[in-house]
Amino acid sequence: MTRAPTAADAAIAVVMTVDNATVRAQVPARYLLCDFLREQAGARGVHVACGHGVCGACTVVVDAVPVRACLMLAVQADGCVVQTIASLPALEGAAPGDSGLTRLQRAFRDHHALQCGYCTPGMLVSTASFLAANPGPSRGQILDHLNGHLCRCSGYANIIAAIESVRP
Amino acid sequence: MTASRKFGQPTRRREDAPLLTGRADFVADLVRPGMAAMRVVRASVAHARLRGIDFSAVANDPACLGFLSAHELPAGTGALPAADLVADSKPAHHGVLAREVVRYVGEPVAVVLAVDAYAAEDLAERVAIDYEPLPVVMDVHSGIKPGSALLYPQFGSNIVHQTTQLVGDPDGAFAAADIIVDETFSFQRVAANSMEMRGAIATLDAASGRYLVHSSTQIPQILRKELARITGIAPERLRVIAPQVGGGFGAKEAVYAEEILVLLALQRFGRATYWLEDRQESFIGSCHGREQSVRLRAAVTAAGIVTAVEVECLSDIGAAYQFLGNTPGAAIASVRGPYRIPNFRSRARSVVTNKTPLNVYRGAGYPQAIAAMERVMDLAATATGLDAAQIRRRNLLPPEAFPVERGIAYPGCGPVVFDSGNFPALLDSTLDAVDYPRFALRRARTAPEIALGLGLSFVVEMTGGGGGEPARLRLRPDGRLQLLSGIVPIGQGSETTLAQILADHLGVAIESIDVLSGDTDDSPDSPGTFASRGATMGGNAACRAADALIHRACRLAAELRGARAADIAWQDGVLVDRTRPGESLTLAALMQQAQAAGVVPAGGLDAAACYNDDAVSWSSACHAAVVEVDRGTGVVRVVDYAVTHDCGRIANPLLVDGQVMGGAVQGLGQCLFEEIRYDPAGLPLSKGYMDYVLPSAATVPRFTLRHIQTPSPLNPLGMKGAGEAGCSGAVAAIANAIANALGPQTTVPNGSGPFTPQLLHRILQGAPREEASA
Repeated sequence: MTRAPTAADAAIAVVMTVDNATVRAQVPARYLLCDFLREQAGARGVHVACGHGVCGACTVVVDAVPVRACLMLAVQADGCVVQTIASLPALEGAAPGDSGLTRLQRAFRDHHALQCGYCTPGMLVSTASFLAANPGPSRGQILDHLNGHLCRCSGYANIIAAIESVRP
Repeated sequence: MTASRKFGQPTRRREDAPLLTGRADFVADLVRPGMAAMRVVRASVAHARLRGIDFSAVANDPACLGFLSAHELPAGTGALPAADLVADSKPAHHGVLAREVVRYVGEPVAVVLAVDAYAAEDLAERVAIDYEPLPVVMDVHSGIKPGSALLYPQFGSNIVHQTTQLVGDPDGAFAAADIIVDETFSFQRVAANSMEMRGAIATLDAASGRYLVHSSTQIPQILRKELARITGIAPERLRVIAPQVGGGFGAKEAVYAEEILVLLALQRFGRATYWLEDRQESFIGSCHGREQSVRLRAAVTAAGIVTAVEVECLSDIGAAYQFLGNTPGAAIASVRGPYRIPNFRSRARSVVTNKTPLNVYRGAGYPQAIAAMERVMDLAATATGLDAAQIRRRNLLPPEAFPVERGIAYPGCGPVVFDSGNFPALLDSTLDAVDYPRFALRRARTAPEIALGLGLSFVVEMTGGGGGEPARLRLRPDGRLQLLSGIVPIGQGSETTLAQILADHLGVAIESIDVLSGDTDDSPDSPGTFASRGATMGGNAACRAADALIHRACRLAAELRGARAADIAWQDGVLVDRTRPGESLTLAALMQQAQAAGVVPAGGLDAAACYNDDAVSWSSACHAAVVEVDRGTGVVRVVDYAVTHDCGRIANPLLVDGQVMGGAVQGLGQCLFEEIRYDPAGLPLSKGYMDYVLPSAATVPRFTLRHIQTPSPLNPLGMKGAGEAGCSGAVAAIANAIANALGPQTTVPNGSGPFTPQLLHRILQGAPREEASA
């Protein structure tokens, strides 16, 4: 859907780089970053599951920092570089393998770390950032990191195992 | 079956790549520019007469594309469906929109359509509803008292269904009992909370004049029929597609008003319409689960033999029903679990209250019944001086007892007959997995500020059924096989599992098989995904469709070769001519030849079949939980969790383990964190994940999963369902472990708590039980 600004909220020009593409739009001040990414930038891997910053499904990286796209306004990201699941190879610093999947994606697949898969892209984005900042994390650090994400299907054990498997 | 077996292999999921890359299309991904955004105006009071609905503040807003209340719906619009599984029930059904009375906060009263979701939300807030408040019923115990306020005065009672069952002579057994254990349990209201919320989109295909509804549902074929019934649109003009579904757990196994309303709005206003639930709305607008009060009495001999059980279930089903009888029915059917208990009496009543309707959530009534029975087993053990494993072993049905007629019925599913199992082996395996003999030593070595406890539970649960399961199999002109299944993937990996089953059945490469589902134009008329039926029902149906297709392929091959049909056979994945040994024909080669000869339809060969044996099989499991209770803070940690599971022959152990662990953690959530709360006036207090705590990664125990594969004799694949046994036994095992940790001198509330730090802290401080559970 395209956000058509209404008379009630004046449009503000926003430009940002989303997964290496420049995206410009006129948006109302209250327009959420998650909606901007999904509707204006076509980044449909940004999934909204709670809308109040608890579940982590909409996590994206804004200027190298993971954020919840449901808690940020599009105008706040004006001029920023935003990376979603499509930028996972860049976030992991490695090209995907023959399967088209990154190391982390393959680890999730191989450990059956996803069932319905709705929470998965946000979790991968945030985990790639986490591992870039904390190579070789302890199990406790992995659990702390994952506490920012809700998954209702897997029971988490396979997710933990998948992340442990990509430690150097 | 050939040497390269797929059945039983931990095959990686074919579903994963689109999900991992964020490219899968969930319903929200199918919203397109120009569609109208629908927002539901929901009742803000729990019980009231509707005196008026005023749209004047929105009607002339340029962003408003339309609005509907019950008064604007076409005459003849049907009510929401209700699958009534019991006789003599009262019809507590709701309309698509409330007309005269609202009965819960969240009940749809009107919808507004706008140019976008932001505007729709603004407009919805400006619809003025005039309520005349009515007294509320917020719990079953007061709701069944004479003189209680009534949700449906025409019924004369808030009890909308009642069933009783009797086996043997419970009165005689109680009269002869050495010990009687009599306990009442309370199970709180929770919600399934699939990470993807619900959503629906209605569009019109101008060329064909047909309507297409995309919905995040477990039951697209049922939804299509109900859309036709409710709107009066001819079924052939309706197509429903369940796109990628982000979890269901039973909450998407109902037909909801919003799925009807997007279509009615499209019809009325001529614009494609979408509705996407938000999380706050989900807590009041999507079905809840579990809430039940259970009183269980057990007659026990001095030797620890349970000779009779009497159970009374009061289910709080909220303001209306969709699957009446299912939750208490599951509880009654499973309450005696794996134990002999020859004498039995039950009474189940469903009571309406001013809360969101309650429906099936993973396990329906099993977790409640199992938690009650397993707690009573522990109390009987204490009373008879046995330990928890001993008393269970003394009461288990022996392996040679199968099939076991239980003498009772499951509403809608016929008599309860356990088809297969080996309960003592489950117990032995699970005790070994938690090193049960050395648990006392482990406890003695635990730091004094930690109370360590171990809890056991047994699950016996019905799986499959739901009616016959059809399947279609196509042999495409390029030689690929396309299975059209009615089993909707909701995260369980059914595409992979069904492909494994089919590859083995035919002896062909798994890579040559595509599995499609979810589109009512293409997939067969299946009941859908629920009751742990997907792999067993869908798998057996796929095999039957394969047999039918091979029959057609053999005839085609005979025709092409001028052979007698009887001479063509299917052998190890290829067609052979018995009169010409050494020659064989692959399906791809058959299609090439048939195309060259011009004797095959453009779409390829197609065969359909139905797995009609509505044979429910009974899965079983033995769980053990080890918990640490911090005596200072009341925080409970589940440290070890062992399950030995018997779902018959396992097609894919990787996926079955995923089901068991995911289910067990849902049970852990119910037992430790989750609760939908209301204030006394019926206002919901749980509106999001700040008020309603879901399990997180740090709460996950060390799992030890084991399997015993006792094949079901009831279906050719020997399978039993695997979707719910992980969830169904976890509340019981963890609650028992907490009670075990605190010891018999401490009274722990019966039921599923939730055992929050606040609750346990008060118990540990020695507060009286009433205060502790308040």
